[in-house]
Amino acid sequence: MRRIAPWLFAFVAFAGAGIFAETSWRSVRPSIPEIGRKDLEPTLGQGVLLGVLGGLRTVVADLTWIRSYVLWERKDRGGCEALMRAACALDPYSRYFWEHTGYVVGYDLAHWEIRRRGGYGKVPAEIQERLFKSYATRGIDIFEEGLARSKVTTPLLLSAAQLAEIKLKDHKLAARYYQKAAEAPDAPWYAARICAQVMWDDGRQLEAYRWFRQYWTTRMLPKQDGFPDDLRQLRMMETNLRLRSQDRIPRPAWEQ
Amino acid sequence: MSSAISVRHLTKDFRIGIRGLKLRAVDDLSLEIPRGQVYGLLGPNGCGKSTTLKIVLGLVSATAGDITILGQPFATSAARRRTGFLPEAPYFHKFLTGRELVRYCAQLSGVTADSVGAAVEEALGLAAMTEAADRPIGTYSKGMLQRIGFAQAVVHDPELVILDEPTAGVDPVGSAAIGRMIHAMRDKGKTIVLCSHLLGQVEQVCDRVAIMDRGKLVLEGAVEDVLARRDRHVMTIESMTPAARAAAEAALEAHGAKVTSVTHPRRSLEDLFRELVTGSRDA
Amino acid sequence: MKASLQRILWISKVTFLEAVRQRFFAFLLVLSAAMVLSSVSFRVFDFGHGELKFIADFGFGGMFFFGSVLAVVMTAQLFFSEMDNKTALTLLAKPLSRAEFLLGKFCGAWAVLAVFVVVLASLLGLVLWAREAELIALAEQSGKIPATFSAGGLAEFVLLQWLRLGVITGIVLAISALARTFLFAVVVGSLAVVAGQLQWIAQDAVLKPSDSVLYEGFLWVSCRLIPNLQQFNIGDALVLGSAAVAPGAVVEVVLSGLFYVVAYLILGSLIFRRREI
Repeated sequence: MRRIAPWLFAFVAFAGAGIFAETSWRSVRPSIPEIGRKDLEPTLGQGVLLGVLGGLRTVVADLTWIRSYVLWERKDRGGCEALMRAACALDPYSRYFWEHTGYVVGYDLAHWEIRRRGGYGKVPAEIQERLFKSYATRGIDIFEEGLARSKVTTPLLLSAAQLAEIKLKDHKLAARYYQKAAEAPDAPWYAARICAQVMWDDGRQLEAYRWFRQYWTTRMLPKQDGFPDDLRQLRMMETNLRLRSQDRIPRPAWEQ
Repeated sequence: MSSAISVRHLTKDFRIGIRGLKLRAVDDLSLEIPRGQVYGLLGPNGCGKSTTLKIVLGLVSATAGDITILGQPFATSAARRRTGFLPEAPYFHKFLTGRELVRYCAQLSGVTADSVGAAVEEALGLAAMTEAADRPIGTYSKGMLQRIGFAQAVVHDPELVILDEPTAGVDPVGSAAIGRMIHAMRDKGKTIVLCSHLLGQVEQVCDRVAIMDRGKLVLEGAVEDVLARRDRHVMTIESMTPAARAAAEAALEAHGAKVTSVTHPRRSLEDLFRELVTGSRDA
Repeated sequence: MKASLQRILWISKVTFLEAVRQRFFAFLLVLSAAMVLSSVSFRVFDFGHGELKFIADFGFGGMFFFGSVLAVVMTAQLFFSEMDNKTALTLLAKPLSRAEFLLGKFCGAWAVLAVFVVVLASLLGLVLWAREAELIALAEQSGKIPATFSAGGLAEFVLLQWLRLGVITGIVLAISALARTFLFAVVVGSLAVVAGQLQWIAQDAVLKPSDSVLYEGFLWVSCRLIPNLQQFNIGDALVLGSAAVAPGAVVEVVLSGLFYVVAYLILGSLIFRRREI
C-alpha cells in the first residue's frame, strides 16, 4: 500500500485537475472567441498556428490581412476571401477587418467571378444580376457577424446599408440599417438624412417624414446650427406630402 | 558494537543498450567496515568500488544484497544524517563562496540554526580553508576544491565519512594535508572510508584495506598484515665496511639464513619533494 | 515537516541564484522588454484593432512565448546541470529526499519566472497607461469614447500567466526526471507546450456527446494528462474588457492550474525516485 499510495495521489491530482479544467474551460470559452473558428482552418498551415499558439494574434491577423491584399491584387477569389475571413477570426473585435472583408466580398468578388466566366459580354445579364445579389448577401452576412462581435458598430451598419441599397437594391433593408446607424450615439450627421431618403424611395413617405422630423427635432435642432440642410429636406418632404401649414415644422428664427 | 558499514552479498547489474544486456558491476560483495578506522577501498578503474559507495549512499539501487550503516538500514535520511560524502572530482556552484557552500550543506544536513555558524567555522578550520572561505568557489584551485569538499562533508559532524578519490589531481603537499585531515577525523573516533586507486597514498593513510577487481572482493585486511612479507627481513645498517659486510653474511649463513640482496635504501620522490617544498601556494 | 520545508527553501534559493545569474535569463528578459516597448512604434501597422489591444497583444505574446522558452530551457538546464556536474551527488547523499530536491528546483525556477512575468507586466502596464492617457486626451477633443485598460485585470492576467508557466515548469521537471539528456528534455518539453496549447480541441470535443466509448475514453485520459493552456489566454477579456469573464472563472482556472502543478510534481518525484544518479 505504501508503494502504491504516491501513485494514487498522482492519479487523484490528475483527475482533479481534469475536472477543474473542464469546468473552467466551459466558463472561459466564451471569452476567447478567436479559438476554434472554422474560418481559421484553411489557413492553419500557413503560419497562423504560431500566432494562435503563442499569442500575438493581432500581429498575425495583420500579417494575414496583408497577405490577403496580395491575393486581392491577383483576383484570387477563394484565397482572398479565406485569408480575410481568417484575419476576422483572429481578431474578431476589429471593425476594420469586418468592414473591408464585407466590402471586398460584397462588391468585388462578383466582378471577379464574371470575368472568370468570360466577361460581361459573355455572361448573361440575369446571371450577372444573380451573382451581384448573391455576393452582396454574403457581404451583408459578414457585416452582421461583425456587428455581433465588434464594439464599434456604426461604420458596419452604414456599410451594410450601402451594400443593401446599391447592390441588393433592397431599400427596406437599407433603411433598416441606416436607421440603426442614425440612432447610434456616434451617428454621423448625414445618416438620418440618407435614412429618410431611402425610406422615401421605398414608398414609405409619410413614415420617412415623421421619423426624420422626430430625429431632427430631438437630435439635430438643439445642436450646432440646427442643420439647415436637413431642415430643407424636411421642407421638401412637407411640400411633396402637401401638408397643411399647422402640420409642418414651426419656422425657427434662423430659417430663411 | 555494529560495524560502520556492513555489506552482505551485494550485487549490482546495469542494463546496457536496447537489448538490455547485463553488466555486473558488483558481484556478491560482502565486507564489514569497522568503526573508528580509516578503511581503504581499492581497485583498478571499473572494478565496482565507486558503484559500491553509491549504493551505500542510496544514489544507486542494489540488484541484490543488504547493507546497514551504523546499525541502521542504508539509504534512509537517518543513515545519511550520520554520513558525510565527498564525491570524486567535486563540483560546486561557482557563484557561492566557500563559507556559503559549507553553510548550505550544513543546513541541508540538519544542523540547527543556532549551531550552524560554529559548525561551519570548525569544518573550515579542519579543512584549512578559513582564509579562502569568502572567495567564490570559481576562483579555487583543484586542491582547494577538494578541501572545501571535505569541509562540506564533515560540517554536520558525521560518524562516517566517505571520500571518493579525495586526492585525485592534487599535488603531494595537498595530498599530505588531506591525509592529516583524515587522521584527525579518525582520532576523533570517526570512521573514514577512502576509495582510491592511488596506492601509495592509501598505504600511508589507511588502517585496513579491501581490494576489488571486476566487481569481486579479492583481498581484505589490515594494511600491515596484507603488505608484510613475514618470510623476509630488512635491516638498515649505517657505516658498513666491506669487511663488516662479509662477516655479517658469514654469520647469517652459519644460521641457515641467506642474504639475497644488499642495496642502498631509497627515498621516495614524494618524500624528497616534501623535504624540498615546504609550503603550498593554495592558502 | 518544518525541516523538510526548510530544505526545499534552501534548494530553491540556490536554484534561484543560479538561474538569475544566467545570461540566457537576462537575454530573454531584455528581448521581451524590447518587444513590449517596440509595440508602440509598430502601431503604424495597426489595422484599426484599437491601439491598446495591439500593444497589449504584443505584451501578452512576448510574455507567453519568451516565458515558455525560459520555462522549458531554464528548468531543464537547472536540472541537468546538477546531474552533469554531479552536484546532485553531493546533495542527494545528504538527508535530502528526491522529492525535496525536485520541489526545491521547481520553486526556484518558478520564482525566476515570477520575476520575469512581473517585470514584463509592469513594463506593459506602464506603456498601456501612458498610451491610454494620450488616447483619452485625443478622444476628448474629438468627442469619441476612448479605449481603456484595467490594471486589476492586468494583475489577474499576470497571476494566470505565472501559473501557466508553473504548469509548464512542472511538466518539464517530470520529463527531465525521466530523460537522459538535456536536449531530449527541451524537445519533449516544447512539444508538451504545443500539445497544451492545442488541448482545447479535445476539451471542445469532450463538451460534445459521442457514441464511441473508446473515443470518449481517449478524450477523458487526454484531458486529464495534458493541461489546456489556452484557458489561461483570457488577457483580452480581463485587461481590455473585450468580452465578459464569468464570475468564478478565474478561480476555476487557478485551481485547475494548481492541480496540474501538484500532479506533475508528484509524477516527477515518483520517476526521479527510481533514477540512478
